[in-house]
Amino acid sequence: MSAGGRVSLRGVSKAFGEVVALRDVDLDIEPVEFFALLGPSGSGKTTTLRLIAGLEQVSEGTILVDGEDVTDAGPGERDVAMVFQSYALYPHMTVAENISFPLRMDRVPKGEIAPLVHEAARRVKIEHLLDRRPGQLSGGQQQRCALARAIVRKPRLFLLDEPLSNLDAKLRLETRVELKKLQRNLNVTAIYVTHDQEEAMTLADRMAIFLDGAIVQVGTPEEVFERPQTVAVAGFIGSPAMNLLPGELSGRGVVVAGRRIELPRPPDASSGPVVVGVRPGHVRFDPDGLPAVLEVAELLGETTLLNLRLGEHPIRMRVNGKVRAAEGEPVAISFDPVAVHLFDRTSGQRIATD
Amino acid sequence: MSRAARRRAATSILLGATVALLLLWVFPILWAIVVSLKGEVEVLAWPPSVVFAPTLDNYADALAGRFSILPNLWSSVVIATVTTAITVGLAVPAAYAFARLRLRGKQTIGFYTLATQMIPPIGLLVPYYLILSKVGWLDTYQGLITVYFTFSLPFAIWLLVSYMEDIPHEMEEAAFLDKAGRLRTLWYVILPQVRGGIAVTTVFVFLNAWNEFLFAVQLSGNTVRPVTVAMYNFVSVEQTLWGKLSAAALVAMLPVIAIGFAAQRQIVKGLTVGAVKGGGRR
Repeated sequence: MSAGGRVSLRGVSKAFGEVVALRDVDLDIEPVEFFALLGPSGSGKTTTLRLIAGLEQVSEGTILVDGEDVTDAGPGERDVAMVFQSYALYPHMTVAENISFPLRMDRVPKGEIAPLVHEAARRVKIEHLLDRRPGQLSGGQQQRCALARAIVRKPRLFLLDEPLSNLDAKLRLETRVELKKLQRNLNVTAIYVTHDQEEAMTLADRMAIFLDGAIVQVGTPEEVFERPQTVAVAGFIGSPAMNLLPGELSGRGVVVAGRRIELPRPPDASSGPVVVGVRPGHVRFDPDGLPAVLEVAELLGETTLLNLRLGEHPIRMRVNGKVRAAEGEPVAISFDPVAVHLFDRTSGQRIATD
Repeated sequence: MSRAARRRAATSILLGATVALLLLWVFPILWAIVVSLKGEVEVLAWPPSVVFAPTLDNYADALAGRFSILPNLWSSVVIATVTTAITVGLAVPAAYAFARLRLRGKQTIGFYTLATQMIPPIGLLVPYYLILSKVGWLDTYQGLITVYFTFSLPFAIWLLVSYMEDIPHEMEEAAFLDKAGRLRTLWYVILPQVRGGIAVTTVFVFLNAWNEFLFAVQLSGNTVRPVTVAMYNFVSVEQTLWGKLSAAALVAMLPVIAIGFAAQRQIVKGLTVGAVKGGGRR
């Protein structure tokens, strides 16, 4: 099986007429990595995937696959397979014909096609559906058929454009696990576009966060979650999102809502306006803390999400189990100093505290 | 009135209206069938006779008599078939190009392609006559086919463009990634999905060429004379042979009906496929 599939983007930009979809992107994706392109809609992640696939041409920059410059190569010359959000199955062909299509187009000898089709169908558990047409399949089965069509050719790159977004919630969780196993078994590089951070966090070895047509951070899910490099990433990653409050840095402490929090380690800057970020799980009740008001409590099952108001700022807090406080009741809270993130208020960049 | 009764009433009203409209359309054909089975005297009887001894003499005359329409039927078959083949053969790739390729000046070309349909055909009759007579193509197959083809091609292109635009781009992109080039994508992925559209287009183009009279009567002659013109033989200054005319007209209808039936299955098939989730009509 191909162990190739190293992808490098060098200074890649893409404009559609006047609209710049992607600005000066540099990216390295390692062989057999499961790499997620994560961002809100319109952030350039799908454009990046389509550029790698060869479905769009770059406006500037180069794309390398295994060191080979494929910037001007057509989609058929790059040895990549793609699963589309809509699956793009050929409605007039049976499942078997859909799966064998890439082999037939690649002029694989007739005798070799059937075993390969069965092997691909077996991997995604649709062997019993080979004679059906896509119109006779459920959404989940169509998705598997699209996966089988993509893996049958054993491409060096496996591109997935939000492949789970048309499935219902339960099926999505199951398929997510299978997708990861499939990629491990096939030992192939996978590039996965999603706007769902949970999907990206659970599936990806590494990910790139896209915002407004640029990559703002690349890293493992842990790195991105624990050390967001900008305010924008901090606000985007994590569900519910990180609380972001204006603060004032002075020495080893930061002043938030009129109260000083001593930081465990000295920050990289000494003073000035900052944005203080605290994840909802790191807010706690503290009789000596800041006075806030509980507005709405949402029971999520094992945890409860509390929507508080601290002065003019909304604060979200996650606690285990149920909470007895009634809505509208005053509460006192504080932030775990170890888990406080600091960002420069003008540049939005992270201020290191370790 | 209960809901069920209201629904029954609505159904009967709709049914009645449908039958009335159908009768309006079918009546001339029924009339022609009746006339074609009558003798010459009976045809002219007033009030029209309802009970009469049916005869097939008119059909015998129309097919094998002095004014047999058989050679003319053959001319019409050649003209309509060749026109249809050339038109659809060129319209399919042209429509694909309009629907999918990023071409410079596509809008302009598209507009002028359609603009040719805005000229009233009668205005082109004299120019066409002069052109064909200059190149010696009056009363020839190539002459009529060329004229019909210029009318049908723009129409066929635009009909097919709408079908091709309905196919999701992703379907084609998937094929490109699977190493099918443009031509193989067109052949294996696009064409099977627009079969319904091609069937509709074929029927329309064939019908137009088959039924055309205005140009045929001016540009044809004794060598090449389509059946629409030949039927005119039964109409003369002294008399109109209604029975034979009706018989000839009914015989001329048969190929068209046959093609309609043959294409119907394709058209229906074209409406029932579709696999892209939430994908539109096809």
